[in-house]
Amino acid sequence: MIDSLAAVGRAASPASLLDGLATISGPALKPVNVAAETSFSAALSSVSQNAVSALRNAEGLSLKALQGDMDTREVVDAVMSAEQTLQAAIAIRDKIVTAYLEVSRMAI
Amino acid sequence: MQPVNLFALASQQARWLSVRQTAVSSNIANANTPGYGTVDVEPFQAVLDQTRVAMRATHPQHIAVGATADALSVRQVDESRPLMPSGNTVVLEQELMKSGEVRRSMEMNTAIVKAFHRMLMMTTR
Amino acid sequence: MDPLISSLKVAASGLGAQSERLRVVSENLANAQSTGNFPGADPYQRKTITFTAELDRLSGARMVEVSAIANDRTAFPSEFQPGHEAADELGYVKMPNVNVLVEMADMREANRSYEANLQSIKQARELISMTIDLLRSQ
Repeated sequence: MIDSLAAVGRAASPASLLDGLATISGPALKPVNVAAETSFSAALSSVSQNAVSALRNAEGLSLKALQGDMDTREVVDAVMSAEQTLQAAIAIRDKIVTAYLEVSRMAI
Repeated sequence: MQPVNLFALASQQARWLSVRQTAVSSNIANANTPGYGTVDVEPFQAVLDQTRVAMRATHPQHIAVGATADALSVRQVDESRPLMPSGNTVVLEQELMKSGEVRRSMEMNTAIVKAFHRMLMMTTR
Repeated sequence: MDPLISSLKVAASGLGAQSERLRVVSENLANAQSTGNFPGADPYQRKTITFTAELDRLSGARMVEVSAIANDRTAFPSEFQPGHEAADELGYVKMPNVNVLVEMADMREANRSYEANLQSIKQARELISMTIDLLRSQ
């Protein structure tokens, strides 16, 4: 777990970053094969897909939990996982926006 | 099936849980009252389906009350269990168990709402 | 009325009723040996307590109230104590119709009910607290 966190910290490329994120967030993520991804936009879309699917899963399980008996740990795990991926996706989004702004400030 | 708003459902369940808590408290408080029959609320699924379980009008003590006009009513439960000589049907252990269920559900409810609210706030920052 | 608040009130009424019951039991126990002062006088008469349920139509809550504290009309037992100030011409003294064992059992029951009502109040309080906590940001 700590190794994966460290790996995310010093990720050299988006692909390895996403690998790291996938290992942290655990099995709830539907793993999209990013090992061979070289296209940045493809990597980005897979991040958002992961976040969305984790959120959907969490919402579905929460609805079931509210309506009746549901395994407590399962619901909690799903919601935590959704939060993790969402946080990661937001962090990536922020980095991208900052990078874009920096680039746009570059003198031609 | 149309998509259900998570927060709306959570609010409904919270309301149902608090009415159930009132029913359980009533039972515990009246555990020694002669002639008192255990009360409870209708199951949550029935409340959601908006079906009013057919009022047993033949039961002389059937009183359907609720804070709103929806299916949330505290009604007397049909007991087939043998009564105490005093006519009291409250089993304290069962009431305490129901109380525990209410608490667990409420904790889950507030935790889920908190988490999703947090996530929502994260995205709109 | 907010169902959680009404639940609090119901549990509080339960506590009050059980306290009354404990008070009556203590009174009976304390006076288990209280005879009259002169020959033929009636001793302490055992008290009984009866509860009734009050329905609050708006919330569906059933609160409990003390409907009556009455005298137990069971006959007084007689003990042979010829030197007693309340002894009649045959030497018998009328004793209170209090059975200590019955009172002790009643006291235990009252305690149990009191504890259960206390739990009920604690839970209602915590549910309210949990709900308000939703607003608290971390």
